[in-house]
Amino acid sequence: MKKLALLLMIAIPATAFAQGTNTIAQKGRRFLPAEISIRQGQSITVTNEDEFIHQIYSEGLFDSEERRPGQNIVESFPRSGTFEVRCHIHPKMKLIVRVN
Amino acid sequence: MKKVLALSLLVLATSPAFAQDTLFTDMGGQAGIDRIVDASVENYLADPRISKIFEESNMDRVRAQFKVQFCQIAGGPCEYKGHGMAEAHKGLRLTNADFNAVVEDLQAAMDNVGIPFATQNRFLARLAPMQRHVVTQ
Amino acid sequence: MRLALSCFAFVAGLFMSILATSALAQPWDLFDGGKLLATGGVSQIEGAGGGGLANWAMITGYGTRDGVGANVHYTTVLLPDYTLHSAGVAVGLFDRLELSYAWQEFDTQEVGAALGLGRGFTFHQNIFGAKLKLIGDAVYEQDSWLPQLSVGLQHKENDRGAVIGAVGGKSDQGTDYYLSASKLFLAQSLLVNATWRHTRANQFGILGFGGDRHAGYSAQFEGSAAYLFSRRFAVGAELRTKPNNLSIAKEQAAWDIFAAYFFNKNLSATLAYADLGNIVIRDDQRGAYLSLQAGL
Repeated sequence: MKKLALLLMIAIPATAFAQGTNTIAQKGRRFLPAEISIRQGQSITVTNEDEFIHQIYSEGLFDSEERRPGQNIVESFPRSGTFEVRCHIHPKMKLIVRVN
Repeated sequence: MKKVLALSLLVLATSPAFAQDTLFTDMGGQAGIDRIVDASVENYLADPRISKIFEESNMDRVRAQFKVQFCQIAGGPCEYKGHGMAEAHKGLRLTNADFNAVVEDLQAAMDNVGIPFATQNRFLARLAPMQRHVVTQ
Repeated sequence: MRLALSCFAFVAGLFMSILATSALAQPWDLFDGGKLLATGGVSQIEGAGGGGLANWAMITGYGTRDGVGANVHYTTVLLPDYTLHSAGVAVGLFDRLELSYAWQEFDTQEVGAALGLGRGFTFHQNIFGAKLKLIGDAVYEQDSWLPQLSVGLQHKENDRGAVIGAVGGKSDQGTDYYLSASKLFLAQSLLVNATWRHTRANQFGILGFGGDRHAGYSAQFEGSAAYLFSRRFAVGAELRTKPNNLSIAKEQAAWDIFAAYFFNKNLSATLAYADLGNIVIRDDQRGAYLSLQAGL
């Protein structure tokens, strides 16, 4: 009984994590955090918490519409690997996404 | 007789008295505006008062947007589809001093390209009302 | 006189304390020099920011609304029978308030002798000015007919009370009140200014205030138009009407045509041909007006 309870205690949060609150904020013309590790097939939600209009693109994967402060973008990563996500308005913004 | 009449009408229609506002042409058309934008952006990036404003920006994109926007403002055949001035500049917290420094650098660029002062002022008169949207500090 | 000085000192003190409490790394940052060239005007004959004879609605100096500007000026007017020298200092605070002080010296030369005052008899004036911008922006609001509007006053004190009384003047000090409107029609490279001045000054105050013909205030007009040939060079004309309060000294409207050259934001020079009309017993006082302004 105890073993089952222990297993549930681990499994439930683990699945919750796997569903992904993979949230990245765009703030101060930077990605926060600037790195994230996710599982193949999962998606990231990029929220514009900045005072600037932003977008995101990743070579060969996606190139989003521009988003105003307060808006989100959700993009998924079907392949594994390490990817760079950038904003074409602000070239110094860089997000590393490690997909395994 | 009819040919003469038609020709006269054509000449009249294209004469200055019948012309639309000529600012776009007076600025050298798209080629002139492109030269002005390239020269002015060079000035902004070299101007210690305002160069920092651009340090996070994609300058190729900024240049391209200026070229379309200036063309439209000068009465050329362009349509600027970018964001409004207020929301595009809000985060930069620009002051009147910043705005005026940009104007001065733009004036210097237009001098370099050989735009007459009176023509420069006709263009600047169309830019001036942006101050209230662009300057937020 | 004390009241005017106290008001002046109070307002100056108020703004100085605002400056002092601003959290700044360097106090000199306040002199932001951010205004466009020539948009602070030059120094008008009573020390305010404007043209030569006529006032403008602009605040003097190159400080934007986030800063301050200041300048000094020296002006000389060489007329056939008189000379007028003026020197002063002015500050512009946050493109909102202008404070100025000008000293004037009017030399009557031979006319002094003719009047029994003595050859080279001089009148002096101290002029304290304040101007407040109310609404509008002459430069930015190119899509509106609304001019920039400012109100102001110039308190003048003359040192020759006895002579003023002898010629029929009512007082050796007086205050002018004015409303100025200015607009830059940028697409036409044309600057236009108009001022309504409520005054009782005789010859700008050089011959005192009020007179035997008319003791009190009257409404006078001054205006100017200038064409901008380049960022540095403007040419224009001014007109200024004056009251006719003294029976011994017929007064006429003054006008000038001028050229102003702005070397940079630190130095400008103005040259004009001015017609001040009749001054006391001499007609046709037309001559050269030269002015230099240096500042930030």
